[in-house]
Amino acid sequence: MPYKKLHIETRNRVGYILLDAGSRFNKLSITTIRELKLAFAQLAADVETSSVVLSGYPGESFAVGADIGQMVHFSPNDAFHFAELGQSLFDQIESCPKPVIAALNGITMGGGCDLAMSCDMRIASENLRIGHSGAKLGIITGFCGTHKLPHIVGKNHAREIFMTSDIFSAGEALHMGLIDRLYREDEFWGGVSCFAERIASHPLTALSATKRLVNASEDTDLRTGCLLEREMATHINATHNN
Amino acid sequence: MPEKLCTIQTKTDGIAVLTIPGNKSASPGELLEALQRQISFISGKHEIKGLLLTDSGCGFCQCHTDMSMSGHDAATLSDLGQQVMFRLEKSGKPCIAVIEGECTGLGLEVALACDFIVASRSASFGFPGIAAGLIPFCGGSQRLARLIGKSKTKELLYSGDIIDAGEAHRIRLINRLYDQGHALTQTEELLTHICTRSPHAIRIGGEVVNTGYDIDMQAACMLERDAFALCFSSFDQREGMQAFLDKRAAQFKGE
Repeated sequence: MPYKKLHIETRNRVGYILLDAGSRFNKLSITTIRELKLAFAQLAADVETSSVVLSGYPGESFAVGADIGQMVHFSPNDAFHFAELGQSLFDQIESCPKPVIAALNGITMGGGCDLAMSCDMRIASENLRIGHSGAKLGIITGFCGTHKLPHIVGKNHAREIFMTSDIFSAGEALHMGLIDRLYREDEFWGGVSCFAERIASHPLTALSATKRLVNASEDTDLRTGCLLEREMATHINATHNN
Repeated sequence: MPEKLCTIQTKTDGIAVLTIPGNKSASPGELLEALQRQISFISGKHEIKGLLLTDSGCGFCQCHTDMSMSGHDAATLSDLGQQVMFRLEKSGKPCIAVIEGECTGLGLEVALACDFIVASRSASFGFPGIAAGLIPFCGGSQRLARLIGKSKTKELLYSGDIIDAGEAHRIRLINRLYDQGHALTQTEELLTHICTRSPHAIRIGGEVVNTGYDIDMQAACMLERDAFALCFSSFDQREGMQAFLDKRAAQFKGE
């Protein structure tokens, strides 16, 4: 599959999707979003891949939001369809049967922040600069961020991030719970690969079931969630013993 | 006099400072009514862009805690309290609680209804009412659990313990911790900074965050998608993006 905005490769059971728009910033343009959808579909189907790492490479950014030059001319109808396209990508990442790790190597703004939040975990280097500049641009985010950010960092920190449109450091992101792990710059790529490979060494059936269950826990009441867990555990156990 | 429970000062930069020390001889109902009047006043003023709620260092929203009343009166008081908190939450203007002294009981309930809380190192937080058999009644148990998680909320509510500002920051009850004597000025700067952003986006974003939090993700994302599209019919969107492209500061109108 020829990609223009990203590279894709699998090494030691880890599939890497590296955004590379060919400039300092990886903008989430319509083309990039469509390529990401293809890349995730490809790695979800690939039997050699058990976990996925999404990152920006080799520029300074993981990903920034949409192309403002394009967006300034959007009609409400264009915006509606753009949000639908972005949301369908994020839905695909969440329903991808493999763990997806966002490796945040630099600037992660707006839609890029939402992209990172649709992954299962976020690992960052000290270079991380993260924020949501919607209020500075006169908009809110349309990529599920208004739902995800408050659930990850709490409503109050989410409101501060949205209202100020400020850029936050890796340390601040760690304190708020927006990232799960933080590495020094020289240890970052090694740390990411090591962690992703360790996860990928586990049976995929158990990883997939875990991802589905934990995602379901957000929208299900406890009793239904437990019922789901019981059925999945029974099923997996039967699979391994036959 | 209710005005002394809750005073308002409007600054030239569009920021209203609501000082609510309360008064130990006032009843919770009197305090809530005073607060309600001020919120109604502020909501109608277009020139007020942001709100600071503060205690002036001597305790936030203090009132007497004698709650010997009938079940019916307690329900009426709780109705009033919850309505006032919803009104505060829906003012449509950014609202920060700045705490320098004791913020307990009703004070913590009011602070929790603000967009977020900041404090100086001298501040303290908690719900000590449990010793007298009291629980939060303005939505505080629900807002606190959503903010810091169920376990921490139960720990605070069961024990009645008062925690200091450092601990409140660690458990993410407060967003920022300031050195003593600097909280009010630094928060005013922060709010002034927020007020340079699009009031339209802040208002819509706040509503989508609040409404989306308690519904399932799919429904919340649909709501967000529609609200996002609505932004593209606003003056603020055109101005904000054009200003970004022109590398200048945006002049928002909030429409």
